[in-house]
Amino acid sequence: MSAADQPVNQNSAPVRIERVFQRFTLGQRWEHLILIVSFTILFLTGIPQKYRFTEWSQWLLSTPQRVYWVRQIHHTAALLLTAGVLYHLGNALVLMARRRLSSDMFPTFQDVRDAWQMLRYLLFLTREKPAFGKYNFEQKFTYWFLFFGLGIMVVSGFILWFPEVVTRFLPGGVVPAAFLAHSNEAVIAAIFIVVWHFFHVHFQRLNLSMFTGKLSEEEMRLYHANEFERLTGEKADLDETKGGSQ
Amino acid sequence: MLRRKTALFALLAGCLVVGLSVWAFFAPLAPAAPLMQETPTPDANAEAESPTRTPVPNLSISDEYCLSCHGQPGQTFALDNGEQLDLYVPAELHQSSVHGRLGYACVQCHTDVGEYPHPPFKAADRRDVALQLNAVCQRCHSHQFELAQDSVHADAQLAGVREAAVCMDCHTAHEVRRLNDPQTHQLLPDAHTWIPERCALCHNAIYQKYKESVHGAALSQGNLDVPTCIDCHGVHNIEDPRTTYFRLRSPSICAKCHTDPQIMNKYGLSTQVLDTYVADFHGTTTVIFEKQAPDAQINTPVCYDCHGIHDISKTTDPKTGLQMRSNLLARCQECHPDANTNFPAAWMSHYIPSRERYSLVYYVDLFYKIFIPLTLGGMGALVLMDISRTLINRRRKRAAQAAKETAEAGQPLVAPQLAPAPAELSEAAQEEEASVEPAIEPEAGQPASVEQAALAPADPSETAEVDSAAAQPEPQRQTSQPVEEIQPDIEEAGQPASTDETMSSAPENPTDEEIDSSVDSEAKNG
Repeated sequence: MSAADQPVNQNSAPVRIERVFQRFTLGQRWEHLILIVSFTILFLTGIPQKYRFTEWSQWLLSTPQRVYWVRQIHHTAALLLTAGVLYHLGNALVLMARRRLSSDMFPTFQDVRDAWQMLRYLLFLTREKPAFGKYNFEQKFTYWFLFFGLGIMVVSGFILWFPEVVTRFLPGGVVPAAFLAHSNEAVIAAIFIVVWHFFHVHFQRLNLSMFTGKLSEEEMRLYHANEFERLTGEKADLDETKGGSQ
Repeated sequence: MLRRKTALFALLAGCLVVGLSVWAFFAPLAPAAPLMQETPTPDANAEAESPTRTPVPNLSISDEYCLSCHGQPGQTFALDNGEQLDLYVPAELHQSSVHGRLGYACVQCHTDVGEYPHPPFKAADRRDVALQLNAVCQRCHSHQFELAQDSVHADAQLAGVREAAVCMDCHTAHEVRRLNDPQTHQLLPDAHTWIPERCALCHNAIYQKYKESVHGAALSQGNLDVPTCIDCHGVHNIEDPRTTYFRLRSPSICAKCHTDPQIMNKYGLSTQVLDTYVADFHGTTTVIFEKQAPDAQINTPVCYDCHGIHDISKTTDPKTGLQMRSNLLARCQECHPDANTNFPAAWMSHYIPSRERYSLVYYVDLFYKIFIPLTLGGMGALVLMDISRTLINRRRKRAAQAAKETAEAGQPLVAPQLAPAPAELSEAAQEEEASVEPAIEPEAGQPASVEQAALAPADPSETAEVDSAAAQPEPQRQTSQPVEEIQPDIEEAGQPASTDETMSSAPENPTDEEIDSSVDSEAKNG
């Protein structure tokens, strides 16, 4: 049908091809998948250990054998996550050494201004939404929040896993401190994922670029106007009601 | 099949008949009396079980009658193993006992000996005599006797350990003493010290440890707050302390006193010891499996793994106290052989973290107490604001749309011939992800409202807030400025992407530029 239409339309108007923009590399998408898998397993096996005095936890962990196996699974997933984290950091270091590390993800003062403007927009103080670069302040916040959150989880997790080794270098008090940090940070990370991340990528708009690796031209114009203009040299047609969140 | 079933049924029926007849034959002998009486007395039971050993005592036989022989030293009885059993019972021994003082007669325990000459008696050795005569206690003390049947001692007896304690091993045969205050049922003060000594008859090594412990030492100074053997082990139904269940429930034994402020305040001891233990994962595991899996082998420590079982000492004790790091480390190393000197501090020693003690833990806790509500509250607020702003935008749009429709009802559409174009476009775009630039560019001099009106039927929700633009058509719309005014409304209406794309590029009219960049832009990625 469209094939039949095209010649007709070409007479009256030029054909425009929908442009797609690469957003995430294959490696980044794999990292995200590993993060999803390990985070989910860690969450599911960790929460019953944290809320040990609830009925459902005691139903699940009713015998020492079950506790043992849940911990084995938790530790295995922790190794997977740690491998992911180490790859991520190693990759960043290699890129940094080659002076090819993209600065897109690093927070700038512009992010503060964007956040401020977005807050004003949400409070009906302005009709203008900020225009964003490759990553907007919300996405950067998500990244860095989880970056440090996972850092805390990994470090405190290994302290709890190998307390005898750790106390060879550090005072014993780090163990109960790590216990508290691990326990609390886990809850924060989980709620953060559900409330903040899921809201922005599923509810507010379905953003599957982390799986497809691509953003459409329209999404680029709407949500990453500055990046679009930088890449194409065109105007993104951004006006007061276009921007990050709709 | 059917025959097998019938045969099976016949067999079961036969068994039932035989069983019933056997029961009918024997039943009247034993349980008839208890069944007839509503509440069978222990005495009735005892008589039924061993009718020849404990008949109704013959109270006409006085103590003097018994003592006329047994009050004289030198009476003996030859046992099967050749030993001589001394039958001498000093009169004052019985008279000073609780039984003697309450006026109980010899025959009330020795019910079956009757007058002289006594019925024949046979015993292998002295212990056999004790075990045979012990049964008389249940005539009056059936409750305690039954409790004792649940004890580790009774289990040992059943297993053939004849030395295992029976009533008279602790209470003696003729010098039975009063241990409770009859009014308050509280242990009498001298019973506190007497009890460990009785246990020590068999468990002397443990008693020696106990005597040196913080509890035992205080007891010897007359302190009645401290536990004796029975406070932890029970009185008659003494439990086997080697079971996993005893281990798992042992913290609650210690907690009986150590969470009681009335006792602990006297000595300046914390009542938080159980809570702080349970808050740690060692204690958590223990108290959960106490309920969940009492038979589970748990390797987490309980109170006595660190504080000692019978040789419990003050934590400040210079030699054995746990406040000496090396003492605590030795305890840790029993399960954590790789632990070094820093390791014991990983256990907060029942302290609740504060600025002074375990400040790192305190500040981590404080950080999260502030950080969690702050982050979650902030995130929640932003998300809610985002949602509400979106919803308000949408509602305004609908209101504007409705207003526009009512306004349009009177007038005919300005350019109805253009109406099919967007529908066709969106269809094509959906099919092959390519959007076609439509021929709906506003002609020179034609007001922008033409386009608005044309697009309206394709998506009824799309043109909001445009009614102002539609109502007041501006003369020249070829510049880029009006385009930007139209844009938001189309966008906010949540129209299908491809159509939106087309529209946003359509009025802009930068055809050459558009074509250039659209040829192959896949390469242009970040």
